[in-house]
Amino acid sequence: MALGKSYSLRKSDERTGIIFILPAFILLVVFVFIPMSKAFYYSLHDYMLVSGSKSFVGLKNYSALLQDAKFVNSIKHTFYFAVIVIPVQTAIALGLALLIKPQHRYTGFFRTAFFVPVVISTAVAGTVFKLIYNKDYGLLNALLSAVGVPKISLLSNPDIAMNGVIILGIWKAVGFFMIIYLAGLNNIPQDLYESARVDGATKIKQFVYITLPLLKRTTAFIIIITTIDAIKLSGLVFVLTSGGPNSSTETIVYFIFQTAFEQMQMGYASAAAFILFFMILIISVVQMFSLRSKVNY
Amino acid sequence: MKRFFVLMLAAVMILTLAAACSKSGGEQAPASSNQPQEEQSSPKAETVTLKFWRPSGNDQENGAIDKLIANFEAANPGIKVELENIPFDNYETKIRTALAGNNAADIIAIDAPTMPSYVSAGALYDLTSFMEADANLSDIPDGIVESMKYNGKIYLAPINEANIAMFYNKKMFEAKGIPLPSKNVDEAWTWDQVLDAAKKLNDPAAGVVGIDPADGFGGGEGPAYFKTPILWQFGAEVLSPDGSTAKGYLDSNEAKEALRFYQSLYQGSKVASLELPPDPFPTGKLAISVNGIWALGHFKNNFPDFKLGEDWDIAPLPKMKRQAMANGSWTFGITANSKHPQEAWKFINYMTNTEGAKIYAEMTGVMPVRYSVVDQIPAMKEYPYTVFVGQTQKFSRPRPVTPAYPAVSAAIRELFADVGQGNRDVDAAAADAVKKIDTALKSLKK
Repeated sequence: MALGKSYSLRKSDERTGIIFILPAFILLVVFVFIPMSKAFYYSLHDYMLVSGSKSFVGLKNYSALLQDAKFVNSIKHTFYFAVIVIPVQTAIALGLALLIKPQHRYTGFFRTAFFVPVVISTAVAGTVFKLIYNKDYGLLNALLSAVGVPKISLLSNPDIAMNGVIILGIWKAVGFFMIIYLAGLNNIPQDLYESARVDGATKIKQFVYITLPLLKRTTAFIIIITTIDAIKLSGLVFVLTSGGPNSSTETIVYFIFQTAFEQMQMGYASAAAFILFFMILIISVVQMFSLRSKVNY
Repeated sequence: MKRFFVLMLAAVMILTLAAACSKSGGEQAPASSNQPQEEQSSPKAETVTLKFWRPSGNDQENGAIDKLIANFEAANPGIKVELENIPFDNYETKIRTALAGNNAADIIAIDAPTMPSYVSAGALYDLTSFMEADANLSDIPDGIVESMKYNGKIYLAPINEANIAMFYNKKMFEAKGIPLPSKNVDEAWTWDQVLDAAKKLNDPAAGVVGIDPADGFGGGEGPAYFKTPILWQFGAEVLSPDGSTAKGYLDSNEAKEALRFYQSLYQGSKVASLELPPDPFPTGKLAISVNGIWALGHFKNNFPDFKLGEDWDIAPLPKMKRQAMANGSWTFGITANSKHPQEAWKFINYMTNTEGAKIYAEMTGVMPVRYSVVDQIPAMKEYPYTVFVGQTQKFSRPRPVTPAYPAVSAAIRELFADVGQGNRDVDAAAADAVKKIDTALKSLKK
């Protein structure tokens, strides 16, 4: 009897579990797995958007993409963005978190101020930065010329336009990662610092030997998320530069969008999306292994 | 913790419910409009709702369309028109995705050169019989009717002609002692004359840019519309007459000459600027601007102190080997999947026929296509409209007619950005553009 009862209890637990999982599972299948497998299917076809004409071409889309100068350039632009944004943004986020960690009278104000750009919509931020960056009438060049720096044209010089996107990208996202770092900092037990002080460690030593190692997990999380965000960059480009000047800020996602919806080559675009997917997958896995933290006090 | 999960669960359930409701609600709409038709019992329930998508224009254009819809609904109580103004930059994307998903509106505004790509995809309803029966085709110039056709059938109904010309700041010309360009369409300046004037007018110290030769560098269809005429003016073509290749046309010596001239404006003499502030022309920061007829109303409403005839004037587009301008504008078509093509046509016919087109032209100040409407608006026979009407009648030509037009348009946009912004070698840039277009043409033939 007792055995049977506990058995049935476990079974009903199982059923409850399934019911709890089901909504998320169905949503995932319908909105993630089915579209993904369809996209993979399309990526093997020469599939045009409006007409729906479709012919099987195997891996031809993939091999053509790797020889497509426009696609290869979009990869270069994306990685240039990522390689600069990941270290710089992470460092600034940590710096800001350290600044607002000690409780002062104005901590709340600064915490909010640093976080506000995260809440501002991409479209608004992009439009405002477009005005700020304007070569002749923008705020940026007005400030630069006041201190005697020559004008820079972040919107019309193809060689430096990506840097304009980078500045906007960091400004917009750094507050979010600052908050995550703040949570990480608050998780470090205070007694570690106290005993370090008793042993005569300087502030810098405390930072290098206590703060940094104990933030390694937080840092790993932030770097992985920043990498994924950076490689998927598109919204800021849409609003700020539309891929210009002279296609110098076209990112992979922007290329996919243009190919799919302007040129209507859905198959070709799906193949590009899959190349992007595998790139992110590989990079994330490598990062997860290399950033694995063994530190635990 | 438990409380939190209960709350979350409740939230998820409410969201799911809301999603389900909105979905079924959306599907019910067409079903309910169909049922009464089958029953034919109560005439009041027979209201047909037509969905109508167009790219959002300026206030005058949007206002005119609202007025036309109100008039039409008042005269046709059984038909409701549901308008959606879609931001210009996303418009093509929106209709392409919707057409692919079979949920596009009944009536969509279409930029004429993209029509062949939609027709070859089977997305548009054949309007030939409607147009022949109701639209009084002899009232529309032949060249424009021709550009509404693909493979001999009419798919679009035109309402107005877009038009561009050379706007110039009269006061700046006078201050520098430059003779003013003629307003006569047959006496257009050559590009050399324009360049000469631009060099004198260009004054970086005073913040004045000499010329904007082709509407800067934007996205969408704008670049192809403004820049293709420069190729034509220098004697070049984009595609071969049969539309099978760009090789030998877009990379011809004439085309390269046009591109080198365009490049020199930005990179050589630097009379053009890669970057301009918003509304540079009416604010006195730009001396010569190749701009569209639609700017007339915009300047009048937003810059009332900048007066046509006193502060600025309009001259025909510059020429080189010949005069040329692109025709075509936004037109209306019915989607092949529309359940109410008859009613949709009734509405399109109201908008584009004499009565509606006259209201539209009067409210927006654009140039109507119909002779009958031109006759009824006296302003069309006076300056500045004489410049636009004259160019349309004598020198306008359609952009390349091909189902691969989206690729052609993108290739031209990138080509001019390549040489203008990127200062790239013209030969290499033209060769790239030809390759892009020919690849697209080839993939269509399969």
